[in-house]
Amino acid sequence: MTHLHLTWLLFRKDLLIEARSREIVGFMLLFSVLCVVIFAFAFLTDADRARLFLPGVLWVTLLFSGTVGLLRLFAREDESGTLGICARSRAGALPLYWSKVAVQIAFSGIVTACVTPLAVVFFDAEVPDVGLSFAALALGILGQSFVGTLCSALLVTVRLREVLLPLVLYPLLSPLFIGGVKMTSIVLSRTIAEDYTAWLGLMVAFDVIFMVASPAVFTRLRYE
Amino acid sequence: MSAKQPTDKPPLGMLVLTGLTFCTIAASAWHVFLNTPSDATLGIVQKIFYWHVGAAFGMLLGMVTASLASLLDLVSPNDRVDAIARATMEVGVVFALMVLTSGPIWARKSWGTYWTWEPRLTLTLLVLLLALAITAIRGLAADSESGRKIAAALGVLGAPAAYLIHVAVKLWGGTHPTVIDGGGIRSTEMRVSFWLSVAAMLLLCVTFIVARYRQIRIAQDTRELRLTLSARALEDNA
Repeated sequence: MTHLHLTWLLFRKDLLIEARSREIVGFMLLFSVLCVVIFAFAFLTDADRARLFLPGVLWVTLLFSGTVGLLRLFAREDESGTLGICARSRAGALPLYWSKVAVQIAFSGIVTACVTPLAVVFFDAEVPDVGLSFAALALGILGQSFVGTLCSALLVTVRLREVLLPLVLYPLLSPLFIGGVKMTSIVLSRTIAEDYTAWLGLMVAFDVIFMVASPAVFTRLRYE
Repeated sequence: MSAKQPTDKPPLGMLVLTGLTFCTIAASAWHVFLNTPSDATLGIVQKIFYWHVGAAFGMLLGMVTASLASLLDLVSPNDRVDAIARATMEVGVVFALMVLTSGPIWARKSWGTYWTWEPRLTLTLLVLLLALAITAIRGLAADSESGRKIAAALGVLGAPAAYLIHVAVKLWGGTHPTVIDGGGIRSTEMRVSFWLSVAAMLLLCVTFIVARYRQIRIAQDTRELRLTLSARALEDNA
């Protein structure tokens, strides 16, 4: 059984459980819609300036709903005590890591795909370049999933993990977040006067670095 | 378990280090306040700068060592390295707090505002927040192996993250005085004050680290002794 096959099996298992129990994606989605509505109350004071806030609203919503997903990512393994068994299988801990990353990307992707159009409508904005906006959000979801999956696994046995996960995750993700907000606001502004390639480069660099570093650290952990 | 006899007296080296630190801080304070002219435009507030930069060096020393020690501990676990990682991280936090308190006081006079989202300020703040979170986890997980692993893993991740934060906030642009590269220090007295203060703060940093390191090592030894004792008690009962 190859690593890839094992990763696929674990990923499929999580998707099947989610399809039957509908425990996570639905709540993530509902939570993000609420986020956008709350932000609309906070920032929709002036219709003209409202669309300036859209990138920030989108990224904070992405971050918050991602955290909700991450908090439940390893919960089932933890409750059933299978985390250690999975991690100590002959293939090592990597298939487990990559399957959880894939799950997180899938869930966040679904949520973002639903919420972004909604936010654009709520904030009465236009999207001049759909491709670039998609790229920015996709890079954000990737980076958040790489780092977030590791942090979620790290904290799975710790008391107060619900509080600690954001405390650890948000500073680590801040470069990605800064880059994402900047790039999205450049892309969404009607005239692309500013150069966004530096921000794009930053986000790609973040994703590549943590795509390598996070699994490397993950395999060195101890799972009881 | 270490074979050395427990003693309640600090070793000579520790005393010498503490004494040296105390003397250097006193000398630096004397030189900064009584022997160096005030800055022409900023006045007396400029004197904050000497210890501010010194504290920043201390913070750097703490955080970088903590990250390296975390990496080492993650690759090959070792109680000493773990104690170094913990001690340097905690002292790094203390010095970061010093930097972030003295900085705004200087900034208020120099830039007219306590806080701006300037690259180095933002970087320091984010690194401090991350280090505080790691320290908190370490405290919560107490002596457990998993808490140690978690803190080490996060300490390792902190290094590339800090670099990327540095790049990200630099793209934002900003105004931090670059005194060393810019050749802003002209008078000899100021230069002496500057390096004396840096030396004083670095010595203070090292003293804190050594003291905390010893404390953690003693705690580790105590825990091992307790484990050995309870194991022996179990054997006796059986």
